[in-house]
Amino acid sequence: MNTAIPIQPKRPGSLFVHRLRELVRYRELVRNLVTSELKARYKNSVLGFVWSLLNPLGMMLVFTVVFGVLRPNHAVEKYPLFLLCGLLPWNFFSNGVMGSINSVVGNANLVKKVHFPREVLPIASVLAQLVNFLLAFIVLFVALLIFRAQFSPWLWLLPFVILIQTCFTLGIALILSTLNVFYRDVLMVMDVIMLAWFFLTPVFYDVDQWPKTGTLLGYPVDVQRWAYILNPMASLINVYRDLLYKGYRTNLDFFLRTTITALIVLALGYWFFTRYSDRFGEEL
Amino acid sequence: MSVERNAKALPGQPLIELANVSKRFMLARERRRSLQEIFIRLVTRQKAERDSFWPLRHLSLTINRGDCVGVIGPNGSGKSTLLKLITGILAPDEGHMLVNGRISSLLELGAGFHPDLTGRENIYLNGSIYGLSRAQMDARLDSIIDYAELGDFIDTPIKHYSSGMYVRLGFAVAIHTDPDLLLVDEVLAVGDANFQRKCLISIQHFRDNGGTLFLVSHDLGTIQSICKRAIWMDHGEVQADGHPTDVVMAYYARLAQQEEAKAQKSRQHGSDHADGESAPTAADAPPRRWGTGEVRITKVELCDAQGEPRTNFHNGDTLLVRLSYTAPQRVEAPVFGLAIYHQNGTHICGPNTKFGETPIPVVHGDGAITYCVPALPLLEGSYTLSVAVVNFANSETFDYHDRLYDFQVYRGKSNEQYGLVTLNGMWELAEIPANLDQQQPTMLQV
Repeated sequence: MNTAIPIQPKRPGSLFVHRLRELVRYRELVRNLVTSELKARYKNSVLGFVWSLLNPLGMMLVFTVVFGVLRPNHAVEKYPLFLLCGLLPWNFFSNGVMGSINSVVGNANLVKKVHFPREVLPIASVLAQLVNFLLAFIVLFVALLIFRAQFSPWLWLLPFVILIQTCFTLGIALILSTLNVFYRDVLMVMDVIMLAWFFLTPVFYDVDQWPKTGTLLGYPVDVQRWAYILNPMASLINVYRDLLYKGYRTNLDFFLRTTITALIVLALGYWFFTRYSDRFGEEL
Repeated sequence: MSVERNAKALPGQPLIELANVSKRFMLARERRRSLQEIFIRLVTRQKAERDSFWPLRHLSLTINRGDCVGVIGPNGSGKSTLLKLITGILAPDEGHMLVNGRISSLLELGAGFHPDLTGRENIYLNGSIYGLSRAQMDARLDSIIDYAELGDFIDTPIKHYSSGMYVRLGFAVAIHTDPDLLLVDEVLAVGDANFQRKCLISIQHFRDNGGTLFLVSHDLGTIQSICKRAIWMDHGEVQADGHPTDVVMAYYARLAQQEEAKAQKSRQHGSDHADGESAPTAADAPPRRWGTGEVRITKVELCDAQGEPRTNFHNGDTLLVRLSYTAPQRVEAPVFGLAIYHQNGTHICGPNTKFGETPIPVVHGDGAITYCVPALPLLEGSYTLSVAVVNFANSETFDYHDRLYDFQVYRGKSNEQYGLVTLNGMWELAEIPANLDQQQPTMLQV
């Protein structure tokens, strides 16, 4: 059959722009998926949205009992507040990652039947967690007022911090949800990894409680510095604490490095996801 | 391999263009990623041997705006794979694809409905899956609710819907998205008769308003009545592409040919047992064959115009029934006859030599007699044949084979679809009342 117009393969760059534009066109779907996920989660529960607030409060209570009463941690003042500043961002990260792993596989019937940019699924899953996180932030602010915390004059930076954390979470979510299509072991592996990650991140303790220096293969190592470099979550939680708890203005160069890390992870995740998303339809 | 998709249809370009597109499926996908496999492969440095098959091979196809294409073909011919490639669920392994414009598919109605959300919420959700904005859905909402005939149920979570309501809502949204191309895959087989008719009317309406339609169906009648172009696929390749009637005829011819080959095979296979025609006594296969055996019908053949035995015919073909008989003793004035039944048991006709005024004075020894239908008036369907030989007064049955010979009739010369036979009558436009001359075109569009 004659083809009227010879079809030219597109350059990868323009293909990338094309995909992004398609994603923008489907923003309504993202919004609807987020609301339906939130609505579905709290349907048939008596307290509904209140759980977004009660859940972190409950966790705070547990940690406060353990580290405030049973094994008192005198290194940190106003421990419940200190904890909450780390716990809420961590919960957002952890729930965002774990919830999105199944976002593609769990919507197999949709992926196999209808065409739409598949990245919509992990994005919606992470954004639903973001909404929860923002709701829980209300609790945090109430707590901050009660405990008369030191607000940093750099508090206006907070939305950017949340944005950067969302980018980082999304990057990881994109990678893991892709992997989960091909290897269903991802969820099991990530269960363990997230637990380890939780303990390696200064959520319920302060990074100052770590030794300042150590030796690795005979070389002196700045443990605290490396803990931040290797773990963007440690840096992010540190920034949250600076702004909300300690009242510092936070290190801007430090924050910039975290930002770059997060954006690289996001770009990498997006590239990885789009590279394999064409095969989702036949793998599922 | 490349795929280009544009949300807006570009003027002067085809809606869909496939150039030399192939799709490969891997078999035994499960095994290749197990740790053992990977380890063994690493050690032996072998490339994994995987079976693959190509549901589509070197397919080239152009669909222009306003085309109305029906796709036919047996199961496993690659029809659904083609649809999935066009929608974008699958990506081709080879070749180039260009897809312009928005596609709405009726592959699975209500895919993406959320059971906990109400009908109204699901309309918005489903609309956004098709890529429509909230404002666009707002404009369509009333019309969709009206079309789906859900009444007060529209604000009930759809997990409480009946399957019919579910499908109605899914179809209502899909048909209201105003796609450039509507893909339909056997969707008309859902819902009750009323809703099916409504769907069909909507699809025809969509077509008449210049919409482009891509329809996959096993119902060749639907294809012929809706589409202006048909594509017959088999083994992942296009076998024929053209006017629906021509393509459907070609498809039927191939089906008949295949059936014939199968039937011939089974005839050869079964001939050892079948032609041992022992004396037709009452004990011999009681309900199907009986008679005194004074004259025995030893062979019944249905033949085409060339005298070749076959079991598949087209409407309008020549049908020749040849009866071979043997009469051990002299029998005077026997009457040979046959009867044709439709599969559903309807007795269609029963010609015999007496009615046909072909008297046979006497039979003795072996012989044969034929009955010829020059143009078979039977419509598409399965039929079965009885043959008999009786005495002149019809008081004694020498041999009776009750509905032992099956044959198929496929669509052929006549386009008629209703009933069992065509009477080959002629239509003619008599005269148009002079005073209605002006409205003549509308008058004819009944």
